[in-house]
Amino acid sequence: MATHPPKLSFSQGMTIGYRTPLAQSEVAIELTKGTHFLLARNGRGKTTLLRTVANSIRPLTGTVERSGSLQYIPENLAFDGFLNGNTIFKALIPKPRLPKALALAESIELDLTKNYGKLSTGNRRKVSLIVAEFSVDPEKPNILLLDEPFSGLDAFAREHFERIWSERNTNTLRLVSCHPDYDSMPMPSALLIENGHLSHLVNDSQTWVSVKSKLN
Amino acid sequence: MRLFKLTLSTLLRRNTWVICALMVTILPFVLPQISSSTENPSLVKPALAQAAWVMAWLSAAFWGYFAAAQTGEHLSKSGLGEYFHSQGVSATRQLFQVWLAVFTFVAPLGMIAALVSVLAASPANPSEKTLWIATNFQYALLFASVVAPLIALAIACASRFGSVSGFLVSCSLSFYGLYGVGYVKQLISVENSRVLTWLWSASPHYHFADPTERLRYKLGAIEWSQFPLLLAYFGGIALLYIAISRWIFRVRATA
Repeated sequence: MATHPPKLSFSQGMTIGYRTPLAQSEVAIELTKGTHFLLARNGRGKTTLLRTVANSIRPLTGTVERSGSLQYIPENLAFDGFLNGNTIFKALIPKPRLPKALALAESIELDLTKNYGKLSTGNRRKVSLIVAEFSVDPEKPNILLLDEPFSGLDAFAREHFERIWSERNTNTLRLVSCHPDYDSMPMPSALLIENGHLSHLVNDSQTWVSVKSKLN
Repeated sequence: MRLFKLTLSTLLRRNTWVICALMVTILPFVLPQISSSTENPSLVKPALAQAAWVMAWLSAAFWGYFAAAQTGEHLSKSGLGEYFHSQGVSATRQLFQVWLAVFTFVAPLGMIAALVSVLAASPANPSEKTLWIATNFQYALLFASVVAPLIALAIACASRFGSVSGFLVSCSLSFYGLYGVGYVKQLISVENSRVLTWLWSASPHYHFADPTERLRYKLGAIEWSQFPLLLAYFGGIALLYIAISRWIFRVRATA
C-alpha cells in the first residue's frame, strides 16, 4: 500500500525557546525521509527544538508541521532499574518485530538478562535505541527524534546503528542531535543552530569536518 | 497499552507486592494467636477477619500508595512520560494506564482479605454464614472504590511534586478518612464549632468502607438498599479526586 513519505516542516520565522527565543528559522525548512543531524554547541537549543517537534512545548512563533508517527527519545530516557532488557522489549516492542530486536541486541553485545539499573550508560542507550528503532512501523511514515543517542555508546555500536539507519530509511525520518566525534562522519543533511539561527545544510559529500567550522 | 504493560512488569519485578500478599494471607492467622483473643476462643475468628482487613488497608496505604507515587515520579522524571506523549499517548491515557497497573496489584488485597475472612472465619450458622459472605463481598467492593482514586492521586501528586508528596497525600487522606474523622466527631461533641462541623461534613468518610467493626460484632451485611448509596458516595469522592489528579498530573517534571 502506497503511503506518504514522512515530512517535517518549519515555517519561515519559526522561533523556539521557553520564554526567551533561542533560535529562529530564517527560511522555511522541509525535511523528508532519511537521517538529518541536528548540530549546535551546548545550550543553543538542540533539545528545545526536538521538544518543540515532539509537541512537548510550543514554538514561540511560527509553526511546525509533522507528517508521520512521532517518537521522541529524550537524552535522559530511563527505565526502572529492576527491569531487564528482555522485559522492556516484550512490553514495548510489537511481537512481530521482537525477534529482530533481540537479534540486534545480541549482535551489539547487550546483555538482556541484566537489570537496567546495572547496565552501563552505553548499554542503557542501546536499550532506548532498540526500543525506538523497533517501535517504528515500517509500513507507515515515521518521525524519530533522537536526543544525543551516541553519548556513551562505543564506536562499534554507533556504526551498527548508523548502518541500520541507512538500511531502514524508506519510511523513516530521523532527526538526530549529536556531537560527532570523528571528522569523516558523513552528514548529507544537517540542521544547524548558531547565533540564534536555524539553518539547513544539504550536500551529499558533506562531512562533520566541513560543518564543524560553521559552528565556531 | 504499552505503558500499562511496562508498569505492570515493573511492579511485578520489584517483588515488594509479595510482602503485601503474605501480610494479608499469613498474618491474619498469626496475629490472633499472639493477641488476647486466644483467651476467649469465640473471639479468634472475628479477630482473624479483623486482622485480614487491617492488613489489607495497611498494605494499600503503605505499599500501594508508595508504589503508585514511585511510579508517578519515575514516569515524569525518567523521560518516559515525554516519550509516550510524543507517540500520542495523552496525559489522561498515561495516568489511566499507570493507575490501572498499580490498581491491578492493590485491588486483589481486598479480595484476598475477603477470601481469608470467608474461608477461615465464617460463622458455623448457615444464615450467619450467608450474611458473612455478603458483608465481605460488599467490603471488597468498597475497599476497591476507596483505594482506586487515592492511587490516582498518589501518581499525580508524585509526577509533579515528587514521590514523598504523592505518598504522604494519599496515605494521610486514607488514615484521616479511616480513623481521623472519628476524632473530629468527638471534638464536635465536646466543642460545637461550625468549622469542625464543616470539616467533618467535607471529610472523606472512609470508615464506612472499613468492615472490622461490623465483622467483629457480627452486625451483618450493609442493607442492599443502602449499599448503592454508599457506592455512590465513594464514587463522588472518586470523581473529585480523579479530576484533581488529572489537573495535577504531568508527563514531564519540569518545563
